[in-house]
Amino acid sequence: MTSAIKVRSIAKRFANYCAVEEIDFEIPPGRFVSIVGPSGCGKSTVLNMIAGLQAPTAGAIDVFGEPLRGLNKRATYMFQQDALLPWKTVLNNIQIGLQFRGRGRREALDEARVWLERVGLKGFGDSYPYQLSGGMRKRVAMAQCWIVQPDIVLMDEPFAALDVHTRLRMETEVLRLWTASKNTVIFVTHELEEAIALSDEVLLLSAGPGSRLVGRYEVDLERPRNLIDIKTEPRFHQLYRAIWSDLRQEVLKSYERHD
Amino acid sequence: MNDTTKKRVPILVSQLLLGLIVLLVWELAADTGRLNTFFYSSPSLIARELLSLVLTGELWRHLATTFIEAALAFSIGSLLGIVCGFVLARSPLMASIFEPYLRIGNALPRVVFAPIFFLWFDIGIPSKVALGVTVVFFIVFFNTFRGLREVDVVMIDNARILGASERQLIRHVLIPSALTWIFSSLHVSIGLAIISVVVGEWLGAYYGIGHMIARYRQNFEAAGMFAGVTVLALVVLAVGSVVDRVERRLMRWKPERSGSGMKELG
Repeated sequence: MTSAIKVRSIAKRFANYCAVEEIDFEIPPGRFVSIVGPSGCGKSTVLNMIAGLQAPTAGAIDVFGEPLRGLNKRATYMFQQDALLPWKTVLNNIQIGLQFRGRGRREALDEARVWLERVGLKGFGDSYPYQLSGGMRKRVAMAQCWIVQPDIVLMDEPFAALDVHTRLRMETEVLRLWTASKNTVIFVTHELEEAIALSDEVLLLSAGPGSRLVGRYEVDLERPRNLIDIKTEPRFHQLYRAIWSDLRQEVLKSYERHD
Repeated sequence: MNDTTKKRVPILVSQLLLGLIVLLVWELAADTGRLNTFFYSSPSLIARELLSLVLTGELWRHLATTFIEAALAFSIGSLLGIVCGFVLARSPLMASIFEPYLRIGNALPRVVFAPIFFLWFDIGIPSKVALGVTVVFFIVFFNTFRGLREVDVVMIDNARILGASERQLIRHVLIPSALTWIFSSLHVSIGLAIISVVVGEWLGAYYGIGHMIARYRQNFEAAGMFAGVTVLALVVLAVGSVVDRVERRLMRWKPERSGSGMKELG
């Protein structure tokens, strides 16, 4: 089976700074993979290159066997910051991807109504983003990403700004959407717990600049997962300790470099 | 009932009372001879003058002229400003070539163009429109330019990843973003459109409120001059409330600003 994403020795160098150096990995379709690493290690840069928002300085990326040129047409992207259009209602924000792809107005709105309910926002279709809470805005962003039925969803610390409880609910929501759609998710986070709880596999990047892939860890926790209780399971702790002992070194290295 | 509606009625009464007291003091001072009506007129004299302006139909001709001039100046100036703002915001090279000239144009007091426009267009309506356009253009231009330059990059990236073509990006992201900036300057640009055509009329015209005031001045008729000012005040008030309503409708998606009513003054 061709990989959803195949990253071949990509590097990203800026004028006087090298963000990412020689990274290789493959992600089979349908997997939920997290990328973790200390802050400033180039996780977002890797994700942006997969999205086609930035071009790698060296190396190449294959998307379902085809070399990526320009924007990644098979992926959508959920940003850490708010990316909703503030002048459009919730419903119009949700359907915008369908509209961009040339679907009829009525059809797009009907579909958006289904997704509105699916992400638990029934009754908020005519609200504007400023009228929603942070968690609700994330729900709109999720519907926006999933409504176009992308093969890949890229997520860049999407819940970093939320409080712990809202965050847990959003994570549950993501797992639900992913399970139902069976697409591939690449999830960037600096929180190891979040990465383990959600993923099939965790990729560890070393401290930047010039960060590399230093570890891949299979997460063999059973699915479906109950995110409320998963953190108390012994296997979760084993995995956490194993990955943390490596991540910890990178974090310490990044402290030394940035002090 | 919330706080603001609870306070609204007494505030309205106080506002009216304040105006009435000023007018009353003015009238009394004029009637008792403490104020020279030759220079300061009086509310009753002004009212009489206004009434005769309305009854003879004289007022409408002047008002219509000023209105047409201001409306044309505003529309043409806005259109040019939006188009130029768009072109320059999309082309950094053009922007850097034009920058010094736009700076000079913006810094120059536009009134100095009035004699030139009189030379080109005579003293009819077109010269006032041209003057107003030079004022409105720069305000709208700079706001369009900034609005387009300061669109959130994440918003653009998100739209592009969701499949937006260049045209869709312009229509759904760039234009609405620029419009928020343009609307925020609407009060200023409409106000200045009116001011500049009135000043133009004052310098030379056949009709218009500014011309009417200038003519009263030549005849030393204070009441008439104040009548002109009163009419302008009413016009500005009416236009302001229309703009407020339009803005509230089109900017529905923005969080309510606290309504102190002082935003134009701030």
